[in-house]
Amino acid sequence: MALFVIFRAAFGYLFLVLMVRIVGRRPGKQLTPFEFVLIFYLGGLTLTGMVGNEVSLINAVTQILTVALCHYGLAWLRFRFDAFAQLLDGTPLILLENKSWRTETLSHMRIQDDDVMDMAREQGLPSLDKIDTAILEAFGEITIIPLEDDEEEDK
Amino acid sequence: MPAQPFTSPVEDSVPRVDNKVAVGENLDFQRKWWKFERAIWFFFFLILIADVLGAFGRGWLSKARQSDSAKTLTLDYEHIARASTPSIMTFNFGPNAIHDGHIQVYVSDSLVKPLGAQRISPQPAVSALGNGGITYTFDATQLPATVQIALEPSFPGRHYFRVQVVGGQPIEANIFVVP
Repeated sequence: MALFVIFRAAFGYLFLVLMVRIVGRRPGKQLTPFEFVLIFYLGGLTLTGMVGNEVSLINAVTQILTVALCHYGLAWLRFRFDAFAQLLDGTPLILLENKSWRTETLSHMRIQDDDVMDMAREQGLPSLDKIDTAILEAFGEITIIPLEDDEEEDK
Repeated sequence: MPAQPFTSPVEDSVPRVDNKVAVGENLDFQRKWWKFERAIWFFFFLILIADVLGAFGRGWLSKARQSDSAKTLTLDYEHIARASTPSIMTFNFGPNAIHDGHIQVYVSDSLVKPLGAQRISPQPAVSALGNGGITYTFDATQLPATVQIALEPSFPGRHYFRVQVVGGQPIEANIFVVP
């Protein structure tokens, strides 16, 4: 039934959005090989249920249109309502500030100090005490704000 | 005259405190989200347990057995089945099922259409249409005797079916097909 094709596509997309949101916030630049496996595997498994045994071109087109519409809908809601954007993306989270780790955030986000140090090294910072603030952004990257020279001298 | 772009002044949506970088962290929301995450992981775990037990088909909870009052026919099937996934319905014939070297069994149309009967084993000697279903005739010598129908339901939902050995009591039941 045509309605099931649309329903399956919408459910697959929304379910995957929820899963990716729940599984963790480390996509993009910080994607490790371990996380690559997760993303591709989730995508592949969702595809099996979405397509089923209906492999016609019109089925593919309908499902692509459904996913596109769902994506447009989510993007519109995200743009229109801050609360929805927060729900969909989360908020930035401070990992390190005033030379102290935010241990609650680190443990809930399953992020280790080594992950922060990786990003610090990328910016040419030799040690953690050169960091003013480390932030886990909503899109998954860790932003490092280095201590300014005069600030460093004060401390 | 060239078209003018629409503009608005640049303002920080997140206020800066002590001239520090404006992060826009919302720990209250985040703590609620972490609670939600814990609850949903538990929920996922329950779903997996339910799945292993067969609450969504293909497990212990999904199996069903029904007999008519005289035990002429005992039916083993999955009362929870999955769409587009094979499941087997087994007809176990009891005393009085064999008449003149034949077993005649009636199955309602719903077993063929929504429940997607794919094949029947062994092949019946005769198939006759009528009375809202099909009557299969099998050559049979002595008990025990079983017939299997492989089902592959196409659509989710609750599907009623009726089967009976001709001359015996009917067995009526439903199969719930999950997507």
